[in-house]
This record gives sequence, structure tokens and C-alpha cells, in this order.
Amino acid sequence: MSSATAKESFMPAPAQNAAALPWLAETAAIEKDKAVNWVKALRATGAESFARTGLPTLGWEGWQYTNLRPLSSVKFHYSADAAVFDASRLPAPLLDSYRIVVVNGQYQPKLSSLPKSVTVQSLMDAATGHAQGLEDALVRVGDLAQVPLVALNSAYLRDGFVLNVAKNADVDKPVEVLFFNTGNDAAIYPRVLYRLAENSGATIIERHLGMGSYFTNIYTAIAQESASRLRYYRAVNESGNSFHINMAAVQLQKNAQFEGFSMATGGKLTRQEYQLQLLDKDVCCSIGGVYLINGQESHDFTVLADHFEPGGKSAQHFRGVLDDQARTVFQGKIYVRRSAQKTDGYQSHHALLLAPTAEASAKPELEIYADDVKCSHGATSGQIDPVALFYLKSRGIPEQAAKALLAEAFINEAIEQVTLEPLRELHRARAAQWLAERHT
Amino acid sequence: MLKIENLHVNVAGRAILKGINLEIQSGQVHAIMGPNGSGKSTLSYVLAGREGYEVTQGKITFNGQSLLEMEPEDRAAAGIFLAFQYPVEIPGVTTINFLKTAINSIRKKRGEKEMEPAAFLKLQKEKLTKLGMDAEMLKRGVNVGFSGGEKKRNEVFQMAMLEPKLAVLDETDSGLDIDALKIVSDGVNALRSAERSFLVITHYQRLLNYIKPDVVHVLAGGLIRKTGGPELALQLEEKGYAEYYGEGEAA
Repeated sequence: MSSATAKESFMPAPAQNAAALPWLAETAAIEKDKAVNWVKALRATGAESFARTGLPTLGWEGWQYTNLRPLSSVKFHYSADAAVFDASRLPAPLLDSYRIVVVNGQYQPKLSSLPKSVTVQSLMDAATGHAQGLEDALVRVGDLAQVPLVALNSAYLRDGFVLNVAKNADVDKPVEVLFFNTGNDAAIYPRVLYRLAENSGATIIERHLGMGSYFTNIYTAIAQESASRLRYYRAVNESGNSFHINMAAVQLQKNAQFEGFSMATGGKLTRQEYQLQLLDKDVCCSIGGVYLINGQESHDFTVLADHFEPGGKSAQHFRGVLDDQARTVFQGKIYVRRSAQKTDGYQSHHALLLAPTAEASAKPELEIYADDVKCSHGATSGQIDPVALFYLKSRGIPEQAAKALLAEAFINEAIEQVTLEPLRELHRARAAQWLAERHT
Repeated sequence: MLKIENLHVNVAGRAILKGINLEIQSGQVHAIMGPNGSGKSTLSYVLAGREGYEVTQGKITFNGQSLLEMEPEDRAAAGIFLAFQYPVEIPGVTTINFLKTAINSIRKKRGEKEMEPAAFLKLQKEKLTKLGMDAEMLKRGVNVGFSGGEKKRNEVFQMAMLEPKLAVLDETDSGLDIDALKIVSDGVNALRSAERSFLVITHYQRLLNYIKPDVVHVLAGGLIRKTGGPELALQLEEKGYAEYYGEGEAA
């Protein structure tokens, strides 16, 4: 990513990293594909870069708190073969919506349904068809040496899809994108591009789930033209033996509106990173999320809101509940360039620890070069308020139920920001269910 | 109904209650009056089962059950209610949801069926009207953004909904103006019955003009110094607590 953070965090990498090579062993499987030249070039650059860096270790900027060592304890395999699965066993859509189905990273056109104003192609079809601006949108990742997981994703550039929303279109129903993963120690490297043309509007609900053991390493590019409006929701509920890493790079043009929200439960290790670039004037974006984790699960939200031009608004609201030995990381940064006057930036993260063994790390940052801006942040981590707990118990509510009620209230304050009401209700119900089941 | 015998309580290693004896019969209203720091609130918290209050001697029996071994939620199910001196704000939990959960938890513990939503609504409407409260308040977070008076009213509303056997009112009059005091007292008086007892804790006699006690106790220095009828409250109003200071305070 060509971000300001990346520059200052530059670390010289060794020539080659022995631990990286097994990760690249299966790139041969896609070398025979008929791919356009720039795709091949991007794969080669990604592989070369990843071969030098390997997976980020705790010494990497942005990775001080999330340890990827458990990822290396399993040998994950990339498969170029068509995914085998039973379509009748895929979960039904959450809401009345259009649908895109992706299994092990591979777009399934036969299981997908979309309105006229939205077009979707597999990534390779889009590349072969010389879809306009596609190369720019996909090569835009900047210096791959600084984002090893994106480099790894690039080395396997093949799966995923490109979605376009037509100019002035307002998609009447949400588009659910089901990412289903079938396990078997699969390594899955989808690349997704959402493009909203000028003055278009859409709601996307990504669902990430699966069974068994797998590693999914996604790169999601979002390009919003001027005055476009996107609600980008992620519901991440991966299997207990899985690793989920997503980099969402969001580019926003003049007057664009972006509302991002993610709800995460489950998964062994989940990292959701957002890089929001407010490239032109008067962009309005909010990004938020909640996580509910227990056992040995770990979750990481890493967010950069990068303000380029005046009048931009960015808000970050994150909350999470942790039990047992769960660990969470929040790294949030608001970066305001010299030209971005009248920026309004806000950032918060609040973690509720239900057990003394749970651990929360937060690194909130503001970096401001303009002189007329309004930016603030807040981060807390704490336990259930004993006074509130006693109050509930004194009214007859048993301890576990009282704790669940307080935790639910805590998490609902963040769920509130989801403007799609039926999804908000589902998230609330999911949080309540998680809290009710946690000790059963 | 309630029998407290030789109750000694330490808080953070310090003796606060030093041998309380108190017996409340069904249907009686007892008032406990005393200066600040006399142990009034400690007594109320020990009855409700708050953590951090160490009972070093004595026992409390409630309708034949030994209270001290019970969790706060079990005491609530047994029929004890504490109206807090400082009601707690709980953002994100509506009073409605809170009360439904409380009522149904208590019913479950007593082996009864959950309350029908229609019955709950009817009960709630009736009690709200009595206390001059707006139903909108119940849709907000418990006590969030409430004035001092609204919080106290909400305590009495909860009490009315939960219909306890013993209600402990811990300085429910503090922070109330005369109008609010009347409304709250009316709410309490409406609940008086032969099966329900009250322990009214207050610093001032004023409240007892509205809630007429059967018995008045003076608590000072961790001991009940005097017990009498309603006239005792009037004496205190005149003379203050001065005569009760300094006695047995050697500890």
C-alpha cells in the first residue's frame, strides 16, 4: 500500500527467506494458465517479494501484536482445481438479497444472481476481457515488500471476482457475497474488486464461513467514484481451525460515502485490515466493527484513514468482548495530510474482558499535518462493572445472565451504527446467542 | 419475617456494624435513622448481599431461611428488594428488558411460568400511572440520563413490579424535592400490606411524615441505640443525633 505509514516503517528485508519458500511451492500450479501479461508480471513480483520477506514477524511495523507463528505450524495447500462441494448444503442467504457465491476463493457464476445494474466476472475473465482500469485497480497495491500477505496473495493471483455497479444505479437489495471454505488445509487467496461508478449506490454483505482447517488470505479493493455510496458489511464466522486475513483497500473519490462494518466471531486467528484513502474533497466514511471471541481465538482490527483533501470525515468505532485466553489487537490511525484542512476524524476502541486471562492491546494514533482539523480518539479495556453486576443480581438476575446482559449492552452500542436495519437485528441476535452459549 | 441477631460486619477490615439486633414482623414498617457513617447503608447492602461486606458474627434469618449464605439473586427470589441510595446507570439495557429478565428469572427460580407479555404490559402500565412516570423512560437505558428524582422513582417502580416481601429503602428520600417525595411515598404506601414489610433507612425525619413507620430505630456507631414509636423520629428532628455520638466508639 502506498500509505504514509508504510514509508516510515520501511525495513530492509533479507535477500531470501527460507521459511517463505514452502508457501510459494504451489504457484507452479497456475503458471500454465492462459493469463494476460500484466497478471503474470504481478504474480512474479508478488512471489519475488514474498520470497524475500516471508510472513511478517513481530518485528514488522503493524504486526507487533499479532503473531502469525501458528499459521506456519500447519502446511496449507493451494489448489488450482475446481472446488468440489455440495451446493445444496450452502447456507441460505441472511436477508432478501442478490447473491454471489465464492467457494474456496472461486467465483461460482451458476449459484449467483444479480440485477442488471451489477455485473460480476471472475477475476481471470475480467483480466482476459481487458476490463477497463482493472490493471490499475489490481496493481495499485504499491510496494509489495511492505505488505507480505498481499504479496503472497499476488503470487497466487487467479481467484476472486470483479463487481461493477453501473453509473447512477441504486441497487435495490443488498448483494450477499458468500465466501464458503471447505477445509482440508486449503490455502485460499481470493482477490476481490468492488467498483462503484459515479453516483451509484449499493449494499454488500460478505459472509465468511467454512468447515475444517484452512487459511484464507483475501485482498479486497474497493474503488468508489464520485458521489457513490457503499455499505460494505463483513460477517466473519470462520471455523474454529481457520485463519482469516483480509486487507481491504478502499479508495474514495469526491463526495463518496462509505459505511463499513464487520462482525467477527470464531476463527483461530482473524485479522481485518482497512486502508481508507479519502482521495478527494468531502468524502464521508465510517468504519466500525465488533468481535466476540473466546478460547484461544485472536482478532486484529488494523485501520488507517488517510485524508488527502479538505472536508473529509472519517469515524472509527470498534468494540469487542473477550473471554478465556482470547486476544485482541486494535491499531487505528488517522493520517491527515497538509492539504486536508477541515478534516473531521474520530476513532475509538473499547474492549470488554470477561476473564482476567483475556488480553487486549490497542495502538491508537493520530498523525496530523494540516492545521485546521478536528481529530480525537479513545481506547479502553475493562471488565464488567461490579456495581452494575450487583444491581442486576439484586433484582433477581443470576450472575451469568447478568454478565451476558451487560456484555450484550456493551456490544450493541457498536452494532447500532449499522444502518441496514435487518442486518443490525441479525447482528444483535448473533451477539446475544454467542453470549448465551459461551459457557454451555 | 426478618430477624437480625448480633450482626457484626467489617468493611475493608474496619468494624462498621457491631452487634445489630432487629426483628421485623410481617406487614410492619421499620425506620432506621442515624447520622452519616453510622452503618445504615452497610446494613442495607448486607441484607441485599453485596460483595465486600464481611460478616464476622451473627446471623440473619428471613422467613426461616438463613440469608447470609444466599447469592443476591437468590435473596431477590426469596422476596428481598433493595432500593439503592445511588441507583446504577446501565447504558444499553432498557428498563423494560431489565425488568422482564428480572421478573422471569425470579419466577423461574420459584418454579413458576414466565410472565405473559400481555400481563407484563398491563402490570407495567398500572404501576407507571401510579408513579406518574412516562412509558418512554422505560425504553431508555436503565437510569441513563435520569435526574436524581427520576432514578428514585424508577427504584420504586421496580419495587412495585417485583412485589417483594421485604423492601429496604436506602435513603430513597435523598435528592428528592417535595413533589417527588410525595409521589415516591404514595408509591410505597400503595404497596403496604399485611404480607409486606419495609425497612426505611433515612437521615431525615421528613420522609416519615409520608411513610408512617410502626417502629423507629436509631443507629449510631454501628449499634442500635434506641428503639421507639413514630414519636422517636420527631425527637430526633428536634434534638439531632448529638446525644448518640461518642457512645461505644472506642473501637
